[in-house]
Amino acid sequence: MTEAPLVSIRNLHATAGGTPILAGINLELRAGEVHAVMGPNGSGKSTLSNVLVGKPGYEITEGEIEFRGKNLAAMDPEIRAREGVFLAFQYPVEIPGVANNYFLRAAVNAIRAHNGEEELDAIDFITLLREKMKLVEMPEEMMSRAINEGFSGGEKKRNEILQMLLLEPAFCILDETDSGLDIDALRVVANGVNQMRSPERAMLVITHYQRLLDHIVPDRVHVLSKGRIVRSGGKELALELEEKGYGWIEGDADEGSASDQRARVPSEGEGSTS
Amino acid sequence: MSQALESLMRLSAEAVPIAIPEWILQRRSEALGIALDQGLPTRQLEEWKNTSLERLDAMAFARVGPVSTAEPAGGDAPAPTGSGAAELVFVDGHLDSAASSLERLPEGVRALSLATTMREEPALLEGRLARLPELKSPTLVALQTGFMDDGAVIVIDPDTRAAEPIRMRFVSTGEGGDLPSATFPRLLVIAGRQSEARLFQEFTSAGNAKGLTAFVAELYLAPGARIDATTLQAESASRIHYTHSHAHLEGDARFDSTIFTLGRGLVRSELEVVLGEPGAETHMRGLFLGREAAHVDHFTTVDHVEANCTSHEEYRGVLADRSHGVFRGRVIVRPGAQKTEARQSNPNLLLDERARINTKPQLEIYADDVKASHGSTIGQLDAEALFFLRARGIGKAEARRVLTRAFAHGIVDRVADEDLAREIRTRIDIALAGLEEKPLPPLITAEEDPS
Repeated sequence: MTEAPLVSIRNLHATAGGTPILAGINLELRAGEVHAVMGPNGSGKSTLSNVLVGKPGYEITEGEIEFRGKNLAAMDPEIRAREGVFLAFQYPVEIPGVANNYFLRAAVNAIRAHNGEEELDAIDFITLLREKMKLVEMPEEMMSRAINEGFSGGEKKRNEILQMLLLEPAFCILDETDSGLDIDALRVVANGVNQMRSPERAMLVITHYQRLLDHIVPDRVHVLSKGRIVRSGGKELALELEEKGYGWIEGDADEGSASDQRARVPSEGEGSTS
Repeated sequence: MSQALESLMRLSAEAVPIAIPEWILQRRSEALGIALDQGLPTRQLEEWKNTSLERLDAMAFARVGPVSTAEPAGGDAPAPTGSGAAELVFVDGHLDSAASSLERLPEGVRALSLATTMREEPALLEGRLARLPELKSPTLVALQTGFMDDGAVIVIDPDTRAAEPIRMRFVSTGEGGDLPSATFPRLLVIAGRQSEARLFQEFTSAGNAKGLTAFVAELYLAPGARIDATTLQAESASRIHYTHSHAHLEGDARFDSTIFTLGRGLVRSELEVVLGEPGAETHMRGLFLGREAAHVDHFTTVDHVEANCTSHEEYRGVLADRSHGVFRGRVIVRPGAQKTEARQSNPNLLLDERARINTKPQLEIYADDVKASHGSTIGQLDAEALFFLRARGIGKAEARRVLTRAFAHGIVDRVADEDLAREIRTRIDIALAGLEEKPLPPLITAEEDPS
């Protein structure tokens, strides 16, 4: 692969709510690749995903993010989305009073308009929606309900994947999409994600546990610790981590607990994100 | 005396006497006396602390009621908007029988004009009309009572179930250049035992009608009766809109009130519900949407007189531009009212830094076995939800509109009649989009009365 990377993250430093979390991340994803980012709680995984989509409260203090050769940091969140950046949220928000199907059509059409495509009318949209809903095994009645209102944890995650299927982003970030899922839901979600794998698309799968990577097999695995990528490797790295625990990466030689680590390095902001 | 009262008294003296029973005449003149004694409420009064009637005070009224006493031609009446529902249309406080469609009334329901009832069937009113204790409180009830001469009387026979809403439209007329007019429509509802009915009241202005609309409703619910009343207030910015509704509930009766205030002028909306016997229940909801320089004040009182009664109250405020909202929720639980459940909430959205809200729950609890809760919040749109929508490509302005609309529509979800709910959603959406509402076609095209 000689073409330019789809996403280049260079020396990224960022704060969450004023607390420094990311301390120099370097990462390149090419179209067609799936990368996994693993790490213990507080290592900066969620901060990384939130910074990528421009969530208020997360500030880049140094470094840059390039997406298709453009400076991502200069774009508002909605522009990033329209340009093809998508985050499947760890905790999808409930929005009472806004119907799922209404919202989904508004989102699809916002992106189509941005790309100079004609907006979908109600009939075309429903046809598309039904097709994608089958992929994540969602019953139709969920579409007229308010966004995520009264949805179980698994239903919320499926709804995230459904949005990804509909919006067809070029760069998909999945933030702990496996958390809180039973094995059936995990399979459904992973199927949805695997449907999206394509030579034009890059994915960043953020997870604490290795089990998701049995279903979504990554090309590269990166281990995040204290806001830096401390190790990168192939998919075997995930298995190795699973076996040896995060202490293997974090500790110098011994397998000290995370709290011991904090005690020794009090100046490192662990933040409240996970 | 204020200019407003002075001009009203003059108009009252000039009015052609109407043939109504002595006791009503007497009640009116007593009420007028009280109104004169009291003067208009001022901000010195606790109940009016946040709302000034100076604008009303300065109005020199040129007429009371319709432009001409002649019945307006039927051809000028708009087509009834309801889907087969009975509709009463009041123009400047008087029934326009040509525009009304009373023949569609559900069986067991009578809808009469107050003027006719006073003349022909005063016995129906005795012991009911103008019995409000609020006559002497700092309200405009006394003033309104002093001028009452028309409006609607709705009588629902016992055991009647009226599924279709009975619609009442109150239209104020007049164009921008006019001198101010005052209208005093009145509503009396008598719901028999175990009866059930839905009411819809709509207040609008034709053109840019200047002046005062003062409306008083009295609702009497016999044991087991259920009334579900929806009110839409959308008068013009140059109108002062005052309403006072009083519902009295007997045992196991239920009164639901849902009020939508979309008007852009000065609004004071008072609602008083008395849970007079065990088992009575009320659900009071409201949405007020302030735009431009609107001043929108809702003052509610629920009075738990007896044990085992329930009141649920939720008023939502959306305040844009320079608008000012006021919500006061008074809950009284009297000593005998054990096992009371009283809930109240008033969440408010401020969409502009110039917008203001004064919100105050006022709990007066004299019983000890009571479940009461209240909460008022003032805030902006939920930042997480806003970001979620933007992260899916929806622009910031659109995302804000979507969330504001969802907040406002939350109250419409309580309107049981689907046609009505749809109509109100559309009205809210138009208001939120900042679009100019299409003015209603004028109901009266006759020459202005020169007097």
